Amino acid sequence: MYNFDFARPDTLQDAQAALRADDAQALGGGQTLIPTLKQRLAAPAILVSLTAIPELKGICLADDGRLCIGGATTHATVAREAAAHYPALAQLAGNIGDPAVRNRGTIGGSLANNDPSACYPAAVLASGATVITDRQEVAADDYFQGMFATALGEGEIITEVRFPVPQAANYQKFVQPASRFALVGVFVARFAHGVRVAVTGASEGGVFRWHKAEAALGDDFRAEALGDLAVEADGMIGDLHGTPEYRAHLVRVLTGRAVTAAA
Amino acid sequence: MELAASRLIAADRAAVWAALNDPAVLQAAIPGCSELTGTPEEGFEAVVTQKIGPVKATFRGAVTLSEVVEGESYRIAGEGKGGAAGFAKGGARVRLSDAEGGTQLDYEVEASVGGKLAQLGSRLIDGVARRLADQFFDNLQAQLAPDVAAAEAEAVEVAEAVDEAEAGKETKGWFARLRS
Repeated sequence: MYNFDFARPDTLQDAQAALRADDAQALGGGQTLIPTLKQRLAAPAILVSLTAIPELKGICLADDGRLCIGGATTHATVAREAAAHYPALAQLAGNIGDPAVRNRGTIGGSLANNDPSACYPAAVLASGATVITDRQEVAADDYFQGMFATALGEGEIITEVRFPVPQAANYQKFVQPASRFALVGVFVARFAHGVRVAVTGASEGGVFRWHKAEAALGDDFRAEALGDLAVEADGMIGDLHGTPEYRAHLVRVLTGRAVTAAA
Repeated sequence: MELAASRLIAADRAAVWAALNDPAVLQAAIPGCSELTGTPEEGFEAVVTQKIGPVKATFRGAVTLSEVVEGESYRIAGEGKGGAAGFAKGGARVRLSDAEGGTQLDYEVEASVGGKLAQLGSRLIDGVARRLADQFFDNLQAQLAPDVAAAEAEAVEVAEAVDEAEAGKETKGWFARLRS
């Protein structure tokens, strides 16, 4: 690890000011960034921790029924406190990584990083959630812009994520056992006005919506309604854990399982 | 990792060729390139910074042109060291031909990485290399024909990926991986 300065401001304003420094880097729970620094794969001049800012933490239900989660809220807190409001989301949070990751890692950190195999992007995209930052409000459909790419600008901070709560939802993850990342993960959410299906871990473009499945499930919310629908293997991730064809197959299988579990 | 694609650029062949040999144009087209000096004949020195997720690396290295057929084709190759991150090298064979409405540009790209970067796995490298290659030609297109570039960028592109990443095929035992 290279040397760096460290700031842990307790207000959003102080964090914004600290992030304006040259080569400053925001730090959530550090579950991706710290291992990267240990490997000397990045060398920021200053780390600005966002974990001491009270207004970025916690979960509440808004008057319009949406579930609001502060950007610096840990996965463990979401697993515990969202269970009563949005069980599928709580279940997803409770299965991210291992206990250490869940007690340190934050929803804002996960979304800002947008790892193509992370769990949260699937929930945010399938729920049609809104990502709120210190500068803008972005719909999930516009937020994710490919592997590790998001609508965030330099030094921008995710303050909150607002989830519409679906009538029924489920997340199925095919775990890569060494990392507990999703080899493929599928989040299915059924709303009064339609069904949304988001897939993580599979595509080189990061999380994506499977529109054909959404249309089929919108008419008939049963696994059988998927029929012989399949995603193209072209553009899927291929590595030693699975070929593009294997991942494409998993998308179909896990979508079916998620629908059955949600219905 | 190899990929091949082609696109139509709304400019005549001489103009496209001149751009492909102009350091200023190349610098603006190479994603993350902050410095590019030198000449087509003697090669270029480049500084390129890439930020992929949490990883940020600055590569210093040489960009060379070879197999040059004036006005028609060349091979552009770059190789650089990114400090502790490892090294990266990549090249593209670029071919120009006259086409209706401008110049058809065909390219085949290959890329490989080593060191710690390679440990990220081909899961990441393939997608990233493809995105960077697309960005390079998008930028080039935008400089040559700013008006139509945006509209055509999506329509013309017929990228088809071939083969697996050389980087991803690197087989190292778990112990070697821990040590490196």
